[in-house]
Amino acid sequence: MIIEISHFLSVLAAGLFFLVGYFALFTSSLNTAYLSNLISRTYSHGFLFLICSFIIYVWLAITDNFSVQYIANHSNTALPTFYKISSIWSAHEGSMFLWIVFLSLWGFIFNVTVKNEEILKAKSIGIISFVIVGFLLFLLATSNPFATILPIAPLNGADINPVLQDPALAIHPPTLYLGYVGFVIPFACAISFLLEGKTSIKWEVLARKWSIAAWVFLTVGITLGSWWAYYELGWGGYWFWDPVENVALMPWLAATAFVHSLSVSIKSSQLRVWTILLSILVFSLSLFGAFIVRSGIIDSVHSFANDPERGLYLLAFIGIIIFISISLFVLRISSIQSKLTIKKFSKQSFISLNNIIFGALIFSVMLGVTYPLIYEYLFDQKISIGAPFYNAIFIPIVILASFFLFFSVDSKWSRNSSFSFLKKPIFLSLILSITSTLFVMIFFSTKNIPILLSVFAGLLIIYRYIYEIINYFLYKKFINPFSVIAHMSLGLLIVSISFNSLLSSERAINIYINEYEEYKDLKILFQDLGVEEKSNYDSIKAKFLVEDIKGNKFNLNPEKRKYFTRGQITTETAIHVTPLRDIYMTIGDQLDDGSWIVNIQINYLIRWIWISALLMGLAGIMLIFSKKLRA
Amino acid sequence: MNSTRKRRLFNICIVILFSMSGAGLILYSLNSNLDYFFTPTELKNKTISVDKRIKVGGMVLKGSVERISSKVSFTITDYKNSVNVEYEGIVPDLFKEESGVVVLGYLKNQMVFAEEVLAKHDENYMPPSLKIVNDN
Repeated sequence: MIIEISHFLSVLAAGLFFLVGYFALFTSSLNTAYLSNLISRTYSHGFLFLICSFIIYVWLAITDNFSVQYIANHSNTALPTFYKISSIWSAHEGSMFLWIVFLSLWGFIFNVTVKNEEILKAKSIGIISFVIVGFLLFLLATSNPFATILPIAPLNGADINPVLQDPALAIHPPTLYLGYVGFVIPFACAISFLLEGKTSIKWEVLARKWSIAAWVFLTVGITLGSWWAYYELGWGGYWFWDPVENVALMPWLAATAFVHSLSVSIKSSQLRVWTILLSILVFSLSLFGAFIVRSGIIDSVHSFANDPERGLYLLAFIGIIIFISISLFVLRISSIQSKLTIKKFSKQSFISLNNIIFGALIFSVMLGVTYPLIYEYLFDQKISIGAPFYNAIFIPIVILASFFLFFSVDSKWSRNSSFSFLKKPIFLSLILSITSTLFVMIFFSTKNIPILLSVFAGLLIIYRYIYEIINYFLYKKFINPFSVIAHMSLGLLIVSISFNSLLSSERAINIYINEYEEYKDLKILFQDLGVEEKSNYDSIKAKFLVEDIKGNKFNLNPEKRKYFTRGQITTETAIHVTPLRDIYMTIGDQLDDGSWIVNIQINYLIRWIWISALLMGLAGIMLIFSKKLRA
Repeated sequence: MNSTRKRRLFNICIVILFSMSGAGLILYSLNSNLDYFFTPTELKNKTISVDKRIKVGGMVLKGSVERISSKVSFTITDYKNSVNVEYEGIVPDLFKEESGVVVLGYLKNQMVFAEEVLAKHDENYMPPSLKIVNDN
C-alpha cells in the first residue's frame, strides 16, 4: 500500500508540474499578480508531492521493503542504514528518481527566493516544470522505480555492488547531479528571456548566482569522483578519459565558459547572444551526459546495464529541448545583438578568447566521445580513443590559455590597454617562471618539453597573482579575491598535474613473506598475511613495513575481499599520504611458488590536484555569498 | 562594397580559416591516436605494424593463464581463433578464465604485449564489445 502511495504521489506531482508549465507558458495574461501567484504555489505543491514520494521511497529502502523490485535488486538487510539510503542511487531507476527530485529542488528554491522579475520568474518556473514532466514521464514509463515483486517478496536483497559501499561514492553522485540539473535555472531564465523578447530584461543578473552554485556542485562532484576512483578501483590515477568522465567534463567546460561570458553580459551587455547560446549548451550537455550514461550506447566502466528504449526516449527528449531553444534563439538573435564593439586587450576581449578556447576543448572532447560511434557506423570497425588523443589536444590548448590568462590580469573592463614585456609584474613573473622551470629541468634532468612548458605556464599564473596579492597588502591595490583564488588554483592544478606525470612511477613486484624488496627509495618488508572472515566478506590482508630514504617507517596493509552475496572480489588499496607524494599499494594474486604480486605506485602531488579543484569550488562558494552578488 | 562590409567579410574569412584549421588539427590528432578494436579472428587476417596500439577483446581461454614472476600470460579466444597475450602487472579483480577481457597493447610476432588489461566491471554488466564476442 505504502509503495502505491509513493508511486501515486509522483504521478500527481507530474500532473501538477504539467499544469504549472501550461499556465506559465500558454496563457497570455501572465502579468496578473493572481496568475503568477497561482503558478508559484502550484509549483510548490508539485514539489511537496514529489519530495514526499521520495521520502517514502527512502523509508522503503531503510525498512528493507523487498517487494519493491529495485530495492530488492540493490539493497540488503546486512547493509548499514547509510548505504541502504545510498543504494537508491546506485543504479539507473533510483538515481534517475534522485536526479528529478534535485531538478525540482532547484526550481523550488528558485521559486521561493526570487522576489523580483515576476514575469521572467513565472516563465522560468514554467520551463523548469515542463523539463521535470518530461523526465518524470521517462522515469515512470521506461524505468519505474516503484515496480513491485508480487505476490511474494524475496527475504533478502541482492546487495549493493561492494565497490559502491563507500562514503565518497555515497555523496559523489548526488553532488554531481546537483551540478548537472542546477543548470536548468540559467537555461530556463535564458529561454524565458527569449520568449519575452525584451532586451531590457536582465536575465543574466537573475541567473548568475544559480549558475555559479551549479558550477560549484559540478566541480566538487567531479573531484569526488576522481578521488573515489583513485583509492577504490585500485588503478591509481585520477583521470582516465573514460567516456563517462568526458560527458561530465563537457558540461563543466561549457559552464566555466558560461560563467565567464555571463560576467561580460552583466558588465557591459556585450556577448549576450553568445551567453544565451552557452546557457543552452551547458544544459544540453548535461542532458547529453545522462543520455550517454543511461542508454548503453558507449561501453564504459560507469555505464548502467540498460536497454535501448530508454536511450531513444532520452534522445528524443533532448532533441526536442535543443530544437525548441535553438529555434527561439535564431528568431530573436537580431534584437539582442550589442552594437558595442569589443575593445582590443580589454577584459571582454580576453573573456572572448577564453570562450573560444573552451569551445575548442568541448568540441574535441565531444569528438572523442562520439567518433568511435560514427567510425563504427561508417567503416564497420570498432575503435576506441584514449588518453593520447586528449593529451595531444589539452596540453597545447591549456598552455596557450594560461598565457592569455597571464596577460589578461593587466587588462581593464571596456578599455584598451597596452602591453609591454618590460612592465614590472609581467617581467618579474616571466623571469621567475623561467628560472623555476630551468631549475626543474636541471634538478629532475628532464627534457620533456610538454611538461616543462606546462610547469612554466602554471607557474606564470601563480607568480602573476602572487604579485597582485602583494600589491594588495602593500598598496591596497584592488583585487578580485574570487578571480585570484580560482585562477591561482588553475595554476596549481596545471603544476600538480605536470609534476604528477613527470615524477610518478609504478611497478609490479613479486615478493615472499618475510622478504625485502626495494623500489626507488623505498625498502619494503612483507611481514605477514592474514585471512579473516567478516560479516559479509572474506578478507586477505597483507602487512607491509615500508621504510623511505629518510628512515620514516610506516605500515601498508592492502587487502582483497570476496563478498558473499555477489561473489565479487574487490581490491582495497593501502595508501600512505604525505604532502608531496602518495605511496600506493595493491595486492594481486599468489603465484604457484608461494610469492605474491604486489603493485606499488609513487604518485607525486596527486593530493594537490584535488585540492586545487576544491579551491576553485571554494572561490565559487565565496562569490555566491559575497556582497557582489547580494543584489 | 563599403569599408565596413569589406572588413566584416575579412573577419568572417579569418574566423572560418581558423576554425577550419583548428578542426583539421583536431581530426588529424584524432586519427593518429585512435586504437582499433579486434577480435582474435579479425586479427588473423590483418597485418598491423608493431608500433600501432590496438585493443583485442574476447574470452580468456580455460587453462591458459600462466604466471611467471610478475608477468602473466594468457590466451584470448573467440572460440574460432585465439591469440596469446603477455602482461606485466596485476590483472583486474574480475579477470577470470572463461570470462570476458579486453587488452590494450602492441602486436609483435602474433603475440600481444599488453599495457592494460580490462575485465568487465560487474557480473551483471557486460560491455557491448564483449557482448558481441559472447554471442558469437
